[in-house]
Amino acid sequence: MAEQVVITGGWRKWLEEVGEQAVFFTRFLRNLFSGGFEWSEFVRQCYEIGYRSMMLVGITSFIMGLVLILQLRPTLIAFGAESMLPKTLTVSIIREIGPVITAIICAGKIASGIGAELGSMKVTEQIDAMEVSGANPVQYLVVTRILATCFMIPLLAMIGDVISLLGGYLALNLTDSMNLHLYMTKCIASLDYTDYIPALIKTVFFGFAIGFVGCYKGYHSNRGTESVGIAANSAVVTASLWIFFIDMIVVQVTTILFYK
Amino acid sequence: MAAKSEEKLQKEVVIEIKGLKKSFGNKQVLKDINLTVHRGENVVILGRSGSGKSVTIQCVIGMLMPDAGTIKVLGEEVDQLNDKDLKSLRTKIGFLFQGAALYDSMTVRENMEFALTRVMKITDQAELDQKVKDILESVGLPDAAEKMPSDLSGGMRKRIGLARTLIVNPEIMLYDEPTTGLDPITSREISHLILEMQKKYKTTSIIITHDMECARIVADRVVIMDDGKYVAEGTFEELHHSTEKFVKSYFI
Repeated sequence: MAEQVVITGGWRKWLEEVGEQAVFFTRFLRNLFSGGFEWSEFVRQCYEIGYRSMMLVGITSFIMGLVLILQLRPTLIAFGAESMLPKTLTVSIIREIGPVITAIICAGKIASGIGAELGSMKVTEQIDAMEVSGANPVQYLVVTRILATCFMIPLLAMIGDVISLLGGYLALNLTDSMNLHLYMTKCIASLDYTDYIPALIKTVFFGFAIGFVGCYKGYHSNRGTESVGIAANSAVVTASLWIFFIDMIVVQVTTILFYK
Repeated sequence: MAAKSEEKLQKEVVIEIKGLKKSFGNKQVLKDINLTVHRGENVVILGRSGSGKSVTIQCVIGMLMPDAGTIKVLGEEVDQLNDKDLKSLRTKIGFLFQGAALYDSMTVRENMEFALTRVMKITDQAELDQKVKDILESVGLPDAAEKMPSDLSGGMRKRIGLARTLIVNPEIMLYDEPTTGLDPITSREISHLILEMQKKYKTTSIIITHDMECARIVADRVVIMDDGKYVAEGTFEELHHSTEKFVKSYFI
């Protein structure tokens, strides 16, 4: 007779968490296609998530582009490849740094915000109140937020990319003089669809990770004010890990598809 | 007198709980709960903190599922219902949470309209406005519609919570400690409001409370709970004059 395997401790907790996330994902999918989409809440969330994050993403992207040029410049000069600066910056920003940094910033701002908001709604029984009234809290709170992050993170990443390139332009003009039109032409000419299409696709996944993790952590927080902080904190940590994990997979797939 | 009580017994049973048991981990909270509530009746459940009073009404509305026993609400077994039927049953039950659980990102009006537009599918703005106006007048807060929950006092929050629950015309009301955290005067006002609303909207109610004054005002019948079981039952007056030490301890 086969011996029964009993899983205890950390592994058991981890497996339970994975199971709960799978159930939550199924609830999300079921509600996504069940009709009765909450358009006004979706638009409100797009405003909260997208528009209200634009300044933060803009400032960090601008500084990132500027700093990258300042760092790259001495190295490329040493190789006599100073003219490659716009191309190097563009490819690194569009392919990798822009989407990842935007997503990480948004994980800090948005995933924690969603986690704390839903966590406090759980603690104050607002989610229970929605449920017992016969309304659908998953449709209203979860579907709208996850779709808003899936929609707004790519948009923020694109805006951040352009602002990064402008930051790079400013850095270039601190020492050299280059026409903006020429700089932008060089930037655009250095891009191929294999640079921006996979980058755009991965930002949708980043958006999903931020929205899903934020909603899951908030929705499943325990009762008690302390759990609101825990939900917000673990939403940031988990979403950030997911972002790097997704990035690793997308880069691997892109490499296999386009660069081998 | 006997004819009157017989007439009451013949009334339709809207909630019937038999042999209800519920545990959390190793702790058995409900050991053997049996309760029948008739249409139009106000049943107050008294008991010490942590005795499982709230768990009972959470099982009635299907927020928690029982480990054993049956709960029939309006003729339907709650734990046997699928999601759709449970949702449909919940539209006939109102639940007033201890902290009122107002949606704090919405105005009072939006709180009122939330279930009306989503559950009752009312889309006509004039009808929505009329319903909101009527219910806010009923709870004595006609000018609160555009306020945010954060602008309301504890008593006002309870009134708005009650209004939000009653606006969908539930057949059954479940109150989880409706007067907790309020001063004695406001508590009395809320208790009278519960009674008034019950008469106006003809609801059947289960009220969980520690507040003896609230129990005195609203109860048709009082049930006392201890250690996961109901240990005494009767009208407020009957229990008030009880000779049992445990029952008497509630009325000191």
